[in-house]
Amino acid sequence: MAVPAQPLPGYFYDELSKIRVLEPDTAQTTDELREECKDFVDRIGEFQSLVGSFIGMVDGLAQEVEKEKMKAIGARNLLKSIARERDSQKQQLQALLIEKKMELERLRVQYESLKQVEQDQQEITEDFGLK
Amino acid sequence: MRLKLSYQEHPKHSELVSCVTWGSSSELYSVGDDHLILKWDFKSGETTQVAPLQKGTYVTHIDWLPAQAAGGGRKQSSRPEIFVLTCTDGRFLLVSSLGRVEKAVEAHKGAVLGALWSHDGTALLTNGEDGAVKIWSRSGMLRTSLAQSASPVYSTSWSPDSDQVLYTNGKSLVIRPLQPAAKPTHWKAHDGVILVADWSTANNTIVSGGEDRKYKLWDCYGRCLYSSLLHDSPIASLSWSPDGELFSVGAFNTLRLCDKSGWSHCLEKPSTGTIGALTWSSDGTQFACACSNGQTLLAQVVNRHLEWHNLEAVVGEDSIIRVKDVLTDAEERLELHDRIVKVSLGWGHLVAITPLQGFIYNSRNWTTPVTFDLKTTTVSLLLLTDRHFLVADNVSGLLVYSYEGRLVSTVKYPRGSVASLSVLTVSISVDTIAIRDKKEEKVVHLFDVASGKELREGKPLCHKVEIVSLSLSQSGPGSQRQLAFLDQNHDLFLTLVRETTPTQTYQTVSLGGMVGSIAWNDSTNMLAAVTDGRLAVWYHPLVAFTNKDLLPQTLVRQEDSNFKKSAQLVQFVGNCCVLRRDDGALITTSVSPFPAILHQYAASSKWDAATKLCRFVKDPALWACLAGMATNARDLNTAEVAYAAVNEIDKVHYIAEIKALPSAECRNAELALFSHRPQHAEAIYLQAGMVYKAIQLNTDLFNWERALQLALKHKTHVDTVLAFREKHLTELGSKETLAKFIECQGKVKIDWDTIRSKIENEENRGLQ
Repeated sequence: MAVPAQPLPGYFYDELSKIRVLEPDTAQTTDELREECKDFVDRIGEFQSLVGSFIGMVDGLAQEVEKEKMKAIGARNLLKSIARERDSQKQQLQALLIEKKMELERLRVQYESLKQVEQDQQEITEDFGLK
Repeated sequence: MRLKLSYQEHPKHSELVSCVTWGSSSELYSVGDDHLILKWDFKSGETTQVAPLQKGTYVTHIDWLPAQAAGGGRKQSSRPEIFVLTCTDGRFLLVSSLGRVEKAVEAHKGAVLGALWSHDGTALLTNGEDGAVKIWSRSGMLRTSLAQSASPVYSTSWSPDSDQVLYTNGKSLVIRPLQPAAKPTHWKAHDGVILVADWSTANNTIVSGGEDRKYKLWDCYGRCLYSSLLHDSPIASLSWSPDGELFSVGAFNTLRLCDKSGWSHCLEKPSTGTIGALTWSSDGTQFACACSNGQTLLAQVVNRHLEWHNLEAVVGEDSIIRVKDVLTDAEERLELHDRIVKVSLGWGHLVAITPLQGFIYNSRNWTTPVTFDLKTTTVSLLLLTDRHFLVADNVSGLLVYSYEGRLVSTVKYPRGSVASLSVLTVSISVDTIAIRDKKEEKVVHLFDVASGKELREGKPLCHKVEIVSLSLSQSGPGSQRQLAFLDQNHDLFLTLVRETTPTQTYQTVSLGGMVGSIAWNDSTNMLAAVTDGRLAVWYHPLVAFTNKDLLPQTLVRQEDSNFKKSAQLVQFVGNCCVLRRDDGALITTSVSPFPAILHQYAASSKWDAATKLCRFVKDPALWACLAGMATNARDLNTAEVAYAAVNEIDKVHYIAEIKALPSAECRNAELALFSHRPQHAEAIYLQAGMVYKAIQLNTDLFNWERALQLALKHKTHVDTVLAFREKHLTELGSKETLAKFIECQGKVKIDWDTIRSKIENEENRGLQ
């Protein structure tokens, strides 16, 4: 069957002899456009998922960083408080040390006095020996 | 001395504990900011909740009504026990022991910061943020508003006799008598605001602490006795132990146990936060602390150290006493299974008191103690002597036990005033007990140990000035029992308490001034004292009654002693004196051993050996002692030798003259005169029927009235007395003033010839 060149104004036949409203060229470009659009949408979708996962990852990282930061601050505070604790402990120990020193001094004086007594008594016994 | 602290694993209070107090039967009550009142029983380790408080009631202080006042003796024991709680909203609450609020009283504007019952429990003293100090009756009626100051009053305390009140006012302390007219004593005590102050009933000393991070000791005139080192934080709490020997100090993470003279026995650093309140248990063995982290800390005083000759005892933890004999190095472990309230070591015995029971150990046999029962859990005093020991408690008074555990006697002394007795105001010897009166501090009561009755029909010894401390000599016969006492002016006096012929009043002799503390030797009658920062020892103080001139010669001062002013004598055992310096160091100094030996010789009348010893030692002090002893024992030969050795020529002549006297009575009487005891001499003459001698004695002493009295009584020598009196008056160129003589004038004829012949007659009679 022969293809009519121009069946009706505004109507066209394509290669498969189907009747068309659009010009075949336009139809083809439209088709191509559609294909391309579809492709574009697909790629955008892909991009979105990629970006989404990226954001997720970054968020996770941020959380991790936050956690680490808190940890660091905590550690720093702990360090500071340990230093303070050390100080107070040192102070306490020093107080105890002063106390012990005073006790030692007391005992030293007592020891000296006892030594003196011993000496006195020895003198007396020696006196006995001489006389 | 150490503190043993016991914590709870988990604090029982969820918030800070604001106050603690001991109940009448040794359980502890604590109140916290979590609105709970908890009752602690340390025997079983249990705590029970007494009662929850209303929400919003924050308690600042708790005080238990004194047990003796609540019970009122034994008659009203059914009366419910109460305690007082003070609140931040300006009220105080009277609460029964079951936790029921009996009464709530609006007392102050702003918070009430403290409330204290007086010692007899009849009045309540409150202080508040509004600067007011008020006194309330027991039922909560306002009696007086004692003071009103501009700044909050943080702390108050009753005086020992409850008629004065101490309160803090900013940086000052104020003592305010209760009589409205009396003037308050006021002094600046600290550089910061004073937070706490406590007045000891036992030793009349005040301790205060404040934001200047120091604690200080004061006497009741506001003189500073001790000022501590700077602490790390403000002093938040202070408390005296009931016996006045120790006090405890609390601050942030700090707990200190101090001696009564201020130096610190031990320091603890518990991590409990600020210790805001402290209270001692009534037996003085432990105290409780209210801590800001919710802990209620219990601190027990352990490792008390006792020494006597070669024995050393340490009262350790868990009711174990370790006794060590230094000579043999033998150690004994005495287990008592109950809290040890009091321990004393001396005269070869160790007496330990636990609640309701006493244990007597003999140093020869540590394994089987003798036990005796007590009626009460709190013993305030335990004193040992050679044969007996004295136990003082509030329920049964003063009891004397023998070392076999037998009750020897009960001293007739008011039971209620036993609690205020201390080592300084009570002394016991083998036969006598001396007690300073509680109210009249110038008066000393003397009791017989065997009967418990007061000597000389209850006539006490009265001194002119308040007596601070007293001590009885420990050895020698009863007739030589001497009481040494110190008065408020630091003068030392000596008196014979059991003379064979008692006079109307006790005869006292002053031994000197500026004396700090005294101690008798345990085995001989030597007296040691701290004067002017030096140790002085009277080798034979009895000489003060027989020949006072010898007294300075028997006194030996230790020149090289290096202790400071306020050293206290701890004991004088054997020939060693132990002193405690004001920084707490114990100093032992030796005293010559010869006076002790001389005392032994004199006691057994070995005069030759005594003379030999003096010749050997060549010490004038020893010779002087011998002179005194020999005169006292009427051994004239030895006395003559001894007086010659100390260059008392007049005395030697006198003794030679006495020796030449024919009769024993004459010699005794002359010896009495020699010892400055004319009354004694007169009594001897009269007893021997030598009336003329007695009259002559009085005329020689210009004791005219007595001479005439004797002459008239015995109807002899009236003319002699009148004649001598007339002669005396003409020599002085004055006129007769004595009524009796004026009366006799003219009635009797005076003829010197007859008088002379009469005298001659008498003297001849004496020679035969």
